[in-house]
Amino acid sequence: MSFLEQVGKAAIVQVEDAGALAMQFWSVVRKLPRLLPIVGARRRWCSTVQQMLAIGASALPMSGMMSLCTGFILALQGASELRKYGALEFVVALVAIGFTRELGPLITALSVSGRSASAISAEIGTMVVTEEIDALRVMGLDPVEFTLAPKYLAALITIPCLTILSTLCGVFAGYLFLAFSMDMSLATYFHAVAEAILLRDVGFMLVKSLVFATIIVHVGCLEGMRVRGGPEAIGHATTAAVVKSTFLIIFADLAATAVFYLMGWSATT
Amino acid sequence: MSYGGRNVLDKVDLDVHQGEILVLLGGSGSGKTTLLKNVLALAKPETGSITIHGVDITGCSQSELGAVRRSIGVAFQAAALFNSLTVEDNVALPLRELTGLADSTIKLVVRLKLLAVGLSDAGSLYPPELSGGMRKRAAVARAMALDPEILIFDEPSAGLDPIVSAGLDELILFLKRSFGMTILVVTHELESAFRIADRVAMLYKGRLIAVDKKEQFAGNGHPRIRQFLDRQPDAMPRVAAEEFIAAYMEAKDDD
Repeated sequence: MSFLEQVGKAAIVQVEDAGALAMQFWSVVRKLPRLLPIVGARRRWCSTVQQMLAIGASALPMSGMMSLCTGFILALQGASELRKYGALEFVVALVAIGFTRELGPLITALSVSGRSASAISAEIGTMVVTEEIDALRVMGLDPVEFTLAPKYLAALITIPCLTILSTLCGVFAGYLFLAFSMDMSLATYFHAVAEAILLRDVGFMLVKSLVFATIIVHVGCLEGMRVRGGPEAIGHATTAAVVKSTFLIIFADLAATAVFYLMGWSATT
Repeated sequence: MSYGGRNVLDKVDLDVHQGEILVLLGGSGSGKTTLLKNVLALAKPETGSITIHGVDITGCSQSELGAVRRSIGVAFQAAALFNSLTVEDNVALPLRELTGLADSTIKLVVRLKLLAVGLSDAGSLYPPELSGGMRKRAAVARAMALDPEILIFDEPSAGLDPIVSAGLDELILFLKRSFGMTILVVTHELESAFRIADRVAMLYKGRLIAVDKKEQFAGNGHPRIRQFLDRQPDAMPRVAAEEFIAAYMEAKDDD
């Protein structure tokens, strides 16, 4: 196969992936109202709550610890340079802005991607192999509504919450560093943090976390639904889900940051 | 119906009569699974029609298809029970999702269905806690939940020991006698097939080569049917056999 043919084939695969993701996204979004309590289908919201516990609550310790460590690293590295210019207090702005705009959503998404994208693809892949998805269809139940939509709604609720908590952990790590190195009080630190970040930074963080939640769940579900064969295929699907969702999260982050910068929203006043 | 240019099913014309048990026989790769997927509307045939209760499911609306599907119960080969739900909840699932029945009524219906398949004590267990035969029975209970007129079994005896398999055959016969269901069984287990069938059909390379009452089918002279019934292996291709012997001799010389 020539180089051009290889490039063409790879491009077709990527376009097919994008098309399949878009179609799946639309079919899941259409089913979201059915998951709501009272107005939705009977007891369907229960599965959303189960998924919120699986995707969100159990990921909190890991993403919190990762943010705490990263916040400390950022403060240490920033301080070593800023100290030369007598601007150690700018560590507050570095950590606060860095975490709110970038690291909070990114670290949360990467930790959830590693846990949940693989778990989702393995669960759905197993359901495909054991004919559970076929059984749902034959019973007249929609697999999208029954399996995919609760996961997506759960991720839309929990991942922004996780992002806020993990950003707070990262920012708190900055306080720990400054409390030891400059004897800064908690009140002074958080006052400086409040001055450094703007409401649009928080909005940007939440929008990014929603985009990342969409990527994690839909890539996991799509890879799971594509499983054909036996247990080996499920292994391939979980690997593909983690690799693709991690790449797409970083790519989406780059695109979002570029838009943020080009729109002139990166100014701190 | 074709995959990758290869015809998997071709000119299949098969009627299932009301109240009968039709067993569909065929070796591996004969097209049994594809035909089953067509009948369950999980895969659409490229040409032709499949009519159930007067509705052509290859070209009907989603609501018509939903109504047809409600009249069909399916017991899948791997049982396809949901592992996160108890046996009771598995059986109750279609009732909760597709009917407006009160919880107390659903509980009663579930208990009756489990009683019918001999699993009245296993309702609170989860599927991984069940034996192979119990899982199949639970799958039958779920398939019967909406009181379907048609029951479809995909390889009911696969992976079961002869005693459990015979018990499942008895259950299928009991369902026909007691509820007058029309039953389609896809299998390659000859003993089970001749025990439960009213009529037997056989697929070979995607074509239906015989549909007959089981007594006539047993005497059918078609070479492929005789080979299947007499459990005769395919002859080893001559070239392959010669290559095998040459490779064996070469390996022996090396030693």
